[in-house]
Amino acid sequence: MSEALVATQAPEALASGASGARQFWRRLRTQRAATVAAGIVALLVLVALAAPLLTALEGQDPTTYHPSLIDSARGGVPTGSLGGISGHHWLGVEPQTGRDLFARLVYGARVSLGVAFSATVIQVFVGLVVGVAAALGGRWIDQLLSRITDIFVALPLMIMSLALLAIVPQSFPRPVLVTLVIGLISWGSIAKIVRAQTLTLKGLDYVAAARLSGWGAWRIARRELLPGLAAPVITYASILIPVNISVEAALSFLGVGVKPPTPSWGQMLTAADVWYQAAPQYLLLPAGALFVTVLALAVLGDGVRTALDPRAASRLGVGTGRGRGRGREAVTTAKEESA
Amino acid sequence: MRHPSVTSARAAYVSLALVVAAGAAACGPKDNDANGSSGDSTPHKGGTLTVLNSDPQTDFDPARLYTSGGGNVPSLVFRTLTTRNRADGAAGTKVVPDLATDTGRPSKNATVWTYTLKKGLKYEDGTAITSADIKYGIERSFAPELSGGAPYLRDWLVGAADYQGPYKDKKGLSAIETPDDRTIVFHLNKPEGEFPFLATQTQFTPVPQAKDTGTKYEEHPVSSGPYKVVKNENDGEHLVLERNKYWSAAVDDQRKAYPDTIDVQSGLDSSVINQRLSASQGTDAAAVTTDTNLGPAELAKVTGDKELAARVGTGHFGYTNYIAFNPKVKPFDNPKVRQAISYAVDRSSVVNAAGGSALAEPATTFLPNQKSFGYTPYDLFPAGDTGNAAKAKELLKEAGYPNGLTVTLTHDNADNFKTSPEIATAIQDALKKAGITVKLQGLEDNNYSDTVHSVKTEPGFFLAAWGADWPSGGPFLAPIFDGRQIVKDGANFNASQLNDASVNAEIDAINKLTDLDAAAQRWGALDKKIGAQALTVPLFHPVYKRLVGKDIKNVVISDWTGVLDISQVAVK
Repeated sequence: MSEALVATQAPEALASGASGARQFWRRLRTQRAATVAAGIVALLVLVALAAPLLTALEGQDPTTYHPSLIDSARGGVPTGSLGGISGHHWLGVEPQTGRDLFARLVYGARVSLGVAFSATVIQVFVGLVVGVAAALGGRWIDQLLSRITDIFVALPLMIMSLALLAIVPQSFPRPVLVTLVIGLISWGSIAKIVRAQTLTLKGLDYVAAARLSGWGAWRIARRELLPGLAAPVITYASILIPVNISVEAALSFLGVGVKPPTPSWGQMLTAADVWYQAAPQYLLLPAGALFVTVLALAVLGDGVRTALDPRAASRLGVGTGRGRGRGREAVTTAKEESA
Repeated sequence: MRHPSVTSARAAYVSLALVVAAGAAACGPKDNDANGSSGDSTPHKGGTLTVLNSDPQTDFDPARLYTSGGGNVPSLVFRTLTTRNRADGAAGTKVVPDLATDTGRPSKNATVWTYTLKKGLKYEDGTAITSADIKYGIERSFAPELSGGAPYLRDWLVGAADYQGPYKDKKGLSAIETPDDRTIVFHLNKPEGEFPFLATQTQFTPVPQAKDTGTKYEEHPVSSGPYKVVKNENDGEHLVLERNKYWSAAVDDQRKAYPDTIDVQSGLDSSVINQRLSASQGTDAAAVTTDTNLGPAELAKVTGDKELAARVGTGHFGYTNYIAFNPKVKPFDNPKVRQAISYAVDRSSVVNAAGGSALAEPATTFLPNQKSFGYTPYDLFPAGDTGNAAKAKELLKEAGYPNGLTVTLTHDNADNFKTSPEIATAIQDALKKAGITVKLQGLEDNNYSDTVHSVKTEPGFFLAAWGADWPSGGPFLAPIFDGRQIVKDGANFNASQLNDASVNAEIDAINKLTDLDAAAQRWGALDKKIGAQALTVPLFHPVYKRLVGKDIKNVVISDWTGVLDISQVAVK
């Protein structure tokens, strides 16, 4: 009997998951700021992926020196107006080296976004595993994992990162290292959220039914809990990405991030900070890029949270997507509206 | 001639960095523009001179200071047997008498040096300065608790190697004799024609034994110079100096001492210092810095402003930034590889990375481009302005690397425009054209210094810099190329670990000369001879540019220090 119950519920859950995704997109689209932010993020990702193509289009690369474009006698300030902006150098050149700033900026996007996204994936993965294991494991396991989580929440990310990045040998690929350090230090909050949500879900009937029918913990976690954890995890991850971008920039700014000549926005900021008067565009470009990216991701994260929050559904006038309680009525309303 | 002892050599290195950082400049020896910045350029006595510095005057004890020529602020309080000539440009590289009547009378083989003190020399309390006080000042610099000075005295004085200072060893140093109150005689264990240069360091200042308070002496050292310390707050962060009424210009022809008060404020950020000097508001109008240069970005701003540009002084301190090879590491054991890199280097991009042509001059010789060092121009592996990639490729082929080569360049992560990532990246870019792939290994500042100065961990290919303790070829070449100065355990500066009998013999031979011009010529010839081995790639000599406040007059910058001499500055 219980087998049958579970068997019928699974496809239903899947179906509700699929329609949930549809609902999610619809609700996200109704928020104008989030839509614009999503567009900007998509564009940035595209720029990062297409960096070699874009620079080839411009006819430049991020590392070649152009001594003829700078005034050596004046400290290496770019010659020409607006920091040497021209048809060949769309955003001008770097003081002291004459390296193309557009190329450095788009290649820098790869580092910033790549590190931030990968680190977020690690944080989510570790957080999920630890959170679910704590919630489903016995009292001892829960105690142990929760205390470990507390320790990681309490760790100061910047100080730990600085220390770790300083002691790891130089031969270790730097972007990977930065990713690992960020990802493996600051997963505590996500683990806490996952644990709390899992404990709530664990008490719900359908999970109890699955357990009663003799499913193992792993299968329950995968089939019954994960779909329910998606909303809080996605929400939190979307908040983590801009935080991680800032952390990577800060680490590069402090000189422990990626190594030269690989460009990164944080590194460009460090080099540019003294140039704010003599060559302002050199500072404004990476600062602006960071600002736009972090702002877009933060707005998008907020939109994602709103779209996944059942309470916001009525405000947005779009269905909740979850077939439970008042949500069912909301679905109906939405369907009527859309019909 | 730095002895290969661990701590001393380390101290030498650190202090050289400080000396360089401390290089103050206000007006060029050649472009004497700062003098005319205010209508009446005649200097007058009076007023308060403010000094805005980043590094505090810690260890304001003559025993502990490591200076080139007696230092800038210290030289206002501490007079020494000899001192640097307070004159613009090349004339400023000469040694002149200070407390003594001449620069020293050597014995025939330059192992015994005799000095006579001027008459009428007084401390700030009116008591007379005696030769015994100078002997005592030197002796206390041997005390372990007052360490920090240059290692030369310990290396040169007879029987001084294990001397522990006057607190433990009351007998004192027999190598220094004071037959009467005005005569002092030094006995050296080998000929040292450059002893007069050493006598400019603060260890040669008189310290009255009755007033010595050991490690507390730095709080109120007894002045022999034109100013005395009236306030020393936070371990040298804030220093106030006022006139010493017992000092007289009649017995000191070097220090002008125009201002009545000198207020030294340290612990400031370099950009703050330059900002305050360029604004020149309030007391900052009568301000200078003795340790902060203009950076490239600041220079770019200053050169665009006529009023500011007129207040920039330019100076040259004898200093060379170079690539060091360790021939014990493959492939740098192969001279052809070293030559290939010498040919491939693009000095224009390195100069740009160091701040551009106004802040760095390309170098093809190891010795600085100044006559006092014995500068002999040579360019044995001509790379032109931008590198000779074709010739480099040819040499690599001969060396057995027809398809190029991958090497690791070690540099410092600190932003110092000397051994920093910008310079390393510029070299990386230039060597790429010659088929040499350069991987960069950046180390944190302290780690970098430890790694490159230990024969056990020394990398094969790294960025280095060297400055001399005085403007002569000896202290420039000997620590780097004298085989007997290779230090097995501890700080080693002979990076190429060269131990060539003919080089060692020539160093000894030149040290015997008391004719410094003749010595300079031979240092130059020796530099060229060593240069042929391509053990280093000289990159550039830095140029110091510094701002002064708008009321500052009488700016003098010698080639000895490369920075404005604070004893000459007037504010009225």
